[in-house]
Amino acid sequence: MSTTQIREVKRSARMQVSRGMKTVLAGVIFLYIASAIFAPTSISRVAQMGMLPFAACLAIVGLGQTLVIQQGGIDLSVAGSVSLFVVIVTWGPDRHDDRLIPAVLAAFAAAIITGLINGALVTKTKLNSIVATLGVNSLLYGVMMALSGGSPRRTTDRLSHFTNNKTFGLQHSVYYGIICAVILTILLKRTVIGRRFEAVGANPRAALATGLKVGRYQIGAYVAAQIFYCIAGVILGGVISQPTAYQGDEFVLPSVAVVVLGGTSLLGGRGFPAASALAALFLKQLDMFVLSLGVPYGVRTIVISISLMLGIALYAVNWKAVRSKFGAKGRELQAA
Amino acid sequence: MSRSPLILSNISKSFAGVAALRDVSLEVKEGEIHALLGENGAGKSTLMNVASGTLQPDSGTIEINGEIITALTPHLATSHGLAIVHQHPAVLPDLSIEENIRISVPEEFLLTEGSPAATMRKILDDFGFTANIKDRVETLTIAQQHLLDLAKAFAVNPRVLILDEPTAPLGQESVEILFDRVKKIAKSGTSVVYITHRLAEVRELADRVTVLRDGKWRGVKDIADISDDEIMTLIVGRELESTFPPKHGIKSTDKQFFKVADISGADFQNVSLTANKGEIVGIAGVVGNGQSQLLRAIAGLDKFSGAIEISGEPISSKQLLNKAAYMPSDRHGEGLMMTLSVRENAAVNALSKFTSGLFVSRKTETNVVHASLQSLEVKAPSMDADVSALSGGNQQKIVMSRSLLAEPVLIIADEPTQGVDVGARAEIYKILREVAEKGIPVIVNSSDAKELEGLCDRVYVMSRGHVVSTLEGEDITETKIVAAAVSSTKLKKEEGPTVSERVLRTRKLLRSDFLPPIVLTGMITLLGLFIFSRNNLYFGSYNINAVLGLGTGLGFIALGQTIVLMTGGIDLSVGPASGVLLVVGSFFVNDGKSLPIIIIGFLLMFVVAVLIGIVNGSLIRFAKFTPVAGTLTVYIALIGIGYLLRPAPGGYINATVTDALLAKIGPIPYTFIILAGAAVLFEVLLRRTGWGVRLRASGSNEESARRLGININRTIIGAYIASALFAAVGSVIIMGLIGLGDPAQGTSYTLQSITAVVLGGTSLLGGRGSFIGSLLGSVLMVQVLNACVFLNLSQTWQYMFQGLLIVFAAISYSLTRSGGKK
Repeated sequence: MSTTQIREVKRSARMQVSRGMKTVLAGVIFLYIASAIFAPTSISRVAQMGMLPFAACLAIVGLGQTLVIQQGGIDLSVAGSVSLFVVIVTWGPDRHDDRLIPAVLAAFAAAIITGLINGALVTKTKLNSIVATLGVNSLLYGVMMALSGGSPRRTTDRLSHFTNNKTFGLQHSVYYGIICAVILTILLKRTVIGRRFEAVGANPRAALATGLKVGRYQIGAYVAAQIFYCIAGVILGGVISQPTAYQGDEFVLPSVAVVVLGGTSLLGGRGFPAASALAALFLKQLDMFVLSLGVPYGVRTIVISISLMLGIALYAVNWKAVRSKFGAKGRELQAA
Repeated sequence: MSRSPLILSNISKSFAGVAALRDVSLEVKEGEIHALLGENGAGKSTLMNVASGTLQPDSGTIEINGEIITALTPHLATSHGLAIVHQHPAVLPDLSIEENIRISVPEEFLLTEGSPAATMRKILDDFGFTANIKDRVETLTIAQQHLLDLAKAFAVNPRVLILDEPTAPLGQESVEILFDRVKKIAKSGTSVVYITHRLAEVRELADRVTVLRDGKWRGVKDIADISDDEIMTLIVGRELESTFPPKHGIKSTDKQFFKVADISGADFQNVSLTANKGEIVGIAGVVGNGQSQLLRAIAGLDKFSGAIEISGEPISSKQLLNKAAYMPSDRHGEGLMMTLSVRENAAVNALSKFTSGLFVSRKTETNVVHASLQSLEVKAPSMDADVSALSGGNQQKIVMSRSLLAEPVLIIADEPTQGVDVGARAEIYKILREVAEKGIPVIVNSSDAKELEGLCDRVYVMSRGHVVSTLEGEDITETKIVAAAVSSTKLKKEEGPTVSERVLRTRKLLRSDFLPPIVLTGMITLLGLFIFSRNNLYFGSYNINAVLGLGTGLGFIALGQTIVLMTGGIDLSVGPASGVLLVVGSFFVNDGKSLPIIIIGFLLMFVVAVLIGIVNGSLIRFAKFTPVAGTLTVYIALIGIGYLLRPAPGGYINATVTDALLAKIGPIPYTFIILAGAAVLFEVLLRRTGWGVRLRASGSNEESARRLGININRTIIGAYIASALFAAVGSVIIMGLIGLGDPAQGTSYTLQSITAVVLGGTSLLGGRGSFIGSLLGSVLMVQVLNACVFLNLSQTWQYMFQGLLIVFAAISYSLTRSGGKK
């Protein structure tokens, strides 16, 4: 008896595609088809070239947010961080190419420090992540204002080339987004640290009981998240020729939205960075699509909200239970 | 003879196909103390959960006071005069003792001594309870929380009183008081069902005894007609099942291969264990006598004093954490990552062994894990299946697979077969035996004495944190184990106050809800005086009016946010909600519109607010969105609706209305006075009414609140509606300030309101907070922004002060609350 049952333990599949990925991918394909039919201008070359760099930046910010959410937290310091990093890489060099590298290094140093502060506040002093990152966000704005006084500066040529030069007709910024998503996916799914990172997020108590250093993984999430925000900030500094001092504001809630759409649970655990990144493309193209249809901003926003609601409902609602409930009823009706 | 007050007939109940009760009947006569006996898992607690309406039986009838009740609920059971004290006390940690009593004890029982306060004091005094009724329950020890739960049950003078192992956490003095009370209440006519493991207690208290075994009824007897041995036979009953692997036969040369020398921790004292190579060590005893804590210490998870040696080498707590494999009894909470797959769970500790280069080799991992799962005969649909989809036995095997793959130096298993079916049990025993034979010491804690008899080479029986008996070889029998565990006279150390009265008082003040308002008032005053010393225009009536005006809008929204945070949720939608409501109002409340139209406009604002609250609450309670996700989607939708209604600012507000809203008395706006009144009113409602108690109860401990009969869905959805209504009031204030409909107004209030509430000392964990604190938090926020203007400081400082304020407030509240907690 047991021998037959042993064979039932099937081998692991070589490649796994998450439900979030499938959902978002289907959404993106459907959206592009709809765009082609109803609003062809939204998939014109000009429209796409204008949209994709911003989708890439949102994707990279979303990767960082994914890591924090995987640890059961939420990072509201995105706004202050991205704004600060954009200011550091544009204000610091002040259009002098030779000062760019030190500025970028300074931005990364600031990112690591910010991540450590966020992480320490959440894991060491046991603050709620919303409160901790809200406070740190204000501090980041303070630093940003101290540096720039709130008035923007033009980006340097070198940074502009770095992000806006094209290969195979696409801006480099788009490739950076893809590279970040691929690297993070590999780190999470294929390395010891990444695998344990997911385990800690899924159940910190169990992770502690098996002897994992839970605190380090949790602080690491906040630091790594800041590094991604910093990459996004640097790219944004190149993509926008004259960025504002509040460039990060528009990223906070969308970054949470793409993570949720990508299927990563706000309760923590397994993360789907590639799906988060693709969800960023979905949101930006959705925006573009609705914009091309000529509907007002209000409708665009409502459409985004509804797609978010559907996305979450797909994961949050126990559809199996709902199906069996209504399925059973359906059969009864048929029988009757 | 009158009809028995509680008759359970032919009750059956299964969980996921496993029968917990099969055709069990129980009749409790008037005024008798009826002991319910049986081993762990015999079905005693399940039967009592059926009797109290917590569980619905699959079949059988429940008759209370001669009335057959088909669908019993906890509430219905209470109204029929049935009171139950569970093993885990149903108390709400964030509420005071007084509030906990009020939730369970109807007013009519609180007047016997004149005033409720005096009656409560009497209720507690009767149990030798010295704590102040205003103290929070979280400051009580576990034993005191049990006493509180007992006191509540006795206070309603029930017709049937069910006590589920009431003495387990109590000290000797309290046990005597309890016995005395039980005897008295039975004499007055109350029937008592007394669940216990201890025969001595049965002898002392019971009139009759019913024994359950494996979910089946074994017999009922008058206590005078049955000897202890006969009771034991009824409890133990079954023959040794042949599911156990042969014991370690050969006497090992490697004596005392594993040694635990005189270790002590918080819940166990002076425990010494030894094992020879190849042996399995059993830890026995009635649940809750320090066994689990001992295991955690040996696993390196808890602190201990004393020494542990493996094969002659001393091993530290830190090394143990890394090298020992711990299999916790709470498999779902602590054993497995339930949302991850079988493979991911099994591999997590051994991952570094599977690497080739930088990466985990998928091939090595799948091969090794597959081999391990096969050798443990795991039955799973696939290695990629979620571990939550497996049966209890197979889940336990995944824990074992994970432990073994990590090549541990020691295996510690806490209740390894709890919730595991018989077939898988045998396999788990076999695995443990094989591991032991390989020379890895195995320690097993089990409340099932039969299991220890079959499995172990050496059994240590614990009682009240001490080893009371060591059994070896032929002596390891279920009867001897149970006898040692139940007949022990070891007493639990009475928990006494170890800190001085003054320290206690300071602690109480630090944890009080009133500390944040006091601190905030101080800060607001100091900041005001400081700015005044730099700029004497500061206390000018123009400035005071401006600060309070801005603070009023934020203040109302923050009061709403406070209500939601109190339930342990969060409402991100308040900002855009106030924006949308402002826009709605701006279509009606204009110059030249008639009074009825203007009134309709205001009414509509509040109707829309109720709808917003219902959507938020329903997404969270019914569609199971997390509060952040649910209110975030509503947040985005509301921004859209705002812009849809009014793409650009417009709709000038009626001048009479704005004038009325801006009216002031001296420098103080009327609206601010209303806000202050509302904050005080809600502070009182929160502390004095059922609504306030239900609100805090849901946030404090949802499970306990449910058991106490609180409608959680209604309470929480109501909180979101209240929050949206406060946002509506806030939008009316904003209406006066800006004088037109602008959809962009409002969004910033979301984060500002959370900040203000946090400054006010309300915990994001739920259960406690203060409306007055939120009001002061709002004022301080606006004051800090205003201060920078007066001190000629740049915006940099506005942000810096805000950030520092949040971080320091949050840290200091978090520290003072955890301070002194065990």
